[in-house]
Amino acid sequence: MPWGREHNPFVAQAGFMKTLCQLRFSSFRFRGGRSAPACVPSGAAWLLLAVAALSAAGCGRTPAAAYRLNMVEAAKQRLTTEQQRQVATVLEAMFGTPDEPIALAETGLDEAKLRLASGPVRSDIVGRKNGLYREHCVHCHGISGDGLGPTAAFLNPYPRDYRPGVFKFKSTERADKPTHADLLRILRQGIPGTSMPSFALLSEPQIDALAEYVKYLSIRGETELALMRAFFELDDDAKGKLPETREFLVDETLTPVAEKWKAAAAARIPVPDMPADIDLTASIAKGRELFYGDKANCVKCHGVTGLGDGQANDYDDWNKTIVEWKKEVAGEKDATAASLGRAVLAGDALKPRTIPPRNLRQGIYRGGRRPLDLYYRIHAGINGAPMPAAKGTISPEDIWHIVNYVRSLPYEFDGELGADRPMVARDRF
Amino acid sequence: MITTAFRRRSSTHTAVAVPSTPCRSSVPWSRCGGWSRRGGVRLGFVAVLVTSCAIGCNRSRVSTPGADAESVGRLRTTLVAASGGGQAAGEQAAAPTGTGWAAIKGRFTFAGSPGDAKALVVDKDTEVCTKGGIKLFDRSLLVDASSKGLANVVVFARKTSRVKPLSAEQTAESSQVFDQKNCEFLSPVFAARVGQPVDVHNSDPIGHNTNIAGSSFNQLIPAGQGTLYKPDAETGMPTMVTCNIHPWMKAYVVFRKDGYVAVSAADGSFSIADLPAGETLEFQVWHERSSGPNGALGLDNAALKWTPKGRFQVRLEPDEVKDLGTLEVPVNALGT
Repeated sequence: MPWGREHNPFVAQAGFMKTLCQLRFSSFRFRGGRSAPACVPSGAAWLLLAVAALSAAGCGRTPAAAYRLNMVEAAKQRLTTEQQRQVATVLEAMFGTPDEPIALAETGLDEAKLRLASGPVRSDIVGRKNGLYREHCVHCHGISGDGLGPTAAFLNPYPRDYRPGVFKFKSTERADKPTHADLLRILRQGIPGTSMPSFALLSEPQIDALAEYVKYLSIRGETELALMRAFFELDDDAKGKLPETREFLVDETLTPVAEKWKAAAAARIPVPDMPADIDLTASIAKGRELFYGDKANCVKCHGVTGLGDGQANDYDDWNKTIVEWKKEVAGEKDATAASLGRAVLAGDALKPRTIPPRNLRQGIYRGGRRPLDLYYRIHAGINGAPMPAAKGTISPEDIWHIVNYVRSLPYEFDGELGADRPMVARDRF
Repeated sequence: MITTAFRRRSSTHTAVAVPSTPCRSSVPWSRCGGWSRRGGVRLGFVAVLVTSCAIGCNRSRVSTPGADAESVGRLRTTLVAASGGGQAAGEQAAAPTGTGWAAIKGRFTFAGSPGDAKALVVDKDTEVCTKGGIKLFDRSLLVDASSKGLANVVVFARKTSRVKPLSAEQTAESSQVFDQKNCEFLSPVFAARVGQPVDVHNSDPIGHNTNIAGSSFNQLIPAGQGTLYKPDAETGMPTMVTCNIHPWMKAYVVFRKDGYVAVSAADGSFSIADLPAGETLEFQVWHERSSGPNGALGLDNAALKWTPKGRFQVRLEPDEVKDLGTLEVPVNALGT
């Protein structure tokens, strides 16, 4: 402040109060140049004091990063605090903490890669960047991989929740896990049309470590779900406590989850080559027929215009879980359970959103725009989403025809080009 | 910075509006004996700031218990121990204690009035789905008007030490049909054995898709066709089946390895045959509208040791057909 200092009788006062008074004084200058007021705390001073006090007190010491239990499932299964503690304990014994992850041999995960991806952002002794997940992923996907990071509520679509172990864009059958290469591809390419960016600027080992860490979080989350659901299956003489034997925890709970990931590499969908001598015009016409026909039925959801304006009030599996749980909470007669349910919905779930079928006129394909990617989507459907599988119903050749038609949709055109009739369909609708 | 900018604008404004205010108070809400506009704004600002500082930027969340540090260490030793090290088999099926086979039967009734079924909103393919003016209704609570029988209650054996081998005609039996017609699954609750071929069929002239929750089965079923599905795993409690093209379509399926599962008929009756005799059998009971955990139907029935988890126990003699009689489901056992 260039003015006011000479008028201030408290100029000799030290430090904090001096600054406060100067600020207060300066604000009063505008009232018409009255003489310096006494330095009693005014509104401004109270405000600054409050801010200073709160800043000094802060919101407490930052606790060590910790995984959060899947509270929606815990509330759904009506787990007691003791049962929740048992799940947390078993998970920590099995998977460690966000700062120190561990991987049992049964998971088939590489602990060295996990260490690179986990923990706080830091450089190790050779100057290699560690804590990649917390640097690049955690703000959306959350420390537990629950898709509940701080930014999640602001994104559409919401970030993926890895815990159910369901992944959409992959080269394997609907029921199978994605291959490691599928995860690498998503990390490198990002997901067009969503908030998931490309991480192509990271080095190969870094992307590799992140893919491994996603698998780790997913296996951990699926194991957690299995443990929580196991309480219901307990016999009454178990007294509501899970057996803490290696046989139950590893052989019966962890291994079935991990095995699916190990089997993924060998489960790729066999794709016959598109016939080399295919007549593209004829193929597109055939694809169009299938698209609108009763057999493939694409039109029902993607709409007669292909704009994705058909059946549009459905939910994907992640949102459906919340929708179903919401209904259950609304019908809950027990007041305590109902209030817990509402608290969990408010703090551990995002507002459910419907999943619109893809607008095929835009030329934006989330799972990749290669003809092969579209083939995978049509053949196996999209796991977790309403998109059904065509395999078994539609022959591979016909799937290729549909692929060709879908790829032509952004540019589908009949007639003369003109100012009001642009080539690209996106501009027409 | 925001504070300063805000105050300057506000101050200038006040100076123009009241150029020579004689009094000046350091208390924002008592300027010249009246509510000061500036003081009010300031106070509001402080209130907002203090509130947001107090609330913080985190969503308020239910507190959860942390891991028990002592047990973590102990458990980790258990988990990393080499497998096959002579660990006592915990959940192995108990050795068979009896011989021969027996059956149970019974009938569920509903104590209250089911009320009027809710009509479903059918807004797609109406030329097929509401053909001839038919209406579709919610089928989650079907009670037979005359006998009060409660339909679609699922009863299955939780664990048995023995399973009766399938007879030749059972093995040779063709697939069970899970059909849909007039945009409705014909079986609201459908039971099958794991591995038994199920013909997921579509008798409508329009296409459907059949999406079995939790199974990754979601297939297109073209008009008038079917696809063969062999359930590869038990469902536990029944799981929901939907058609994404027609979202009002809903059914439940339950798959059991041993095939000891029954769905109550329209009059509420059910029966399970070929159960192992000479051992205590525990059965699980489920209903779609049940207010129990995971749809478990808890009844007040001490004779059968009925638990809130919807389980009851019976012990059968060889060749016995045990009649559990009428099992009345009270109104408060079912929710919305």
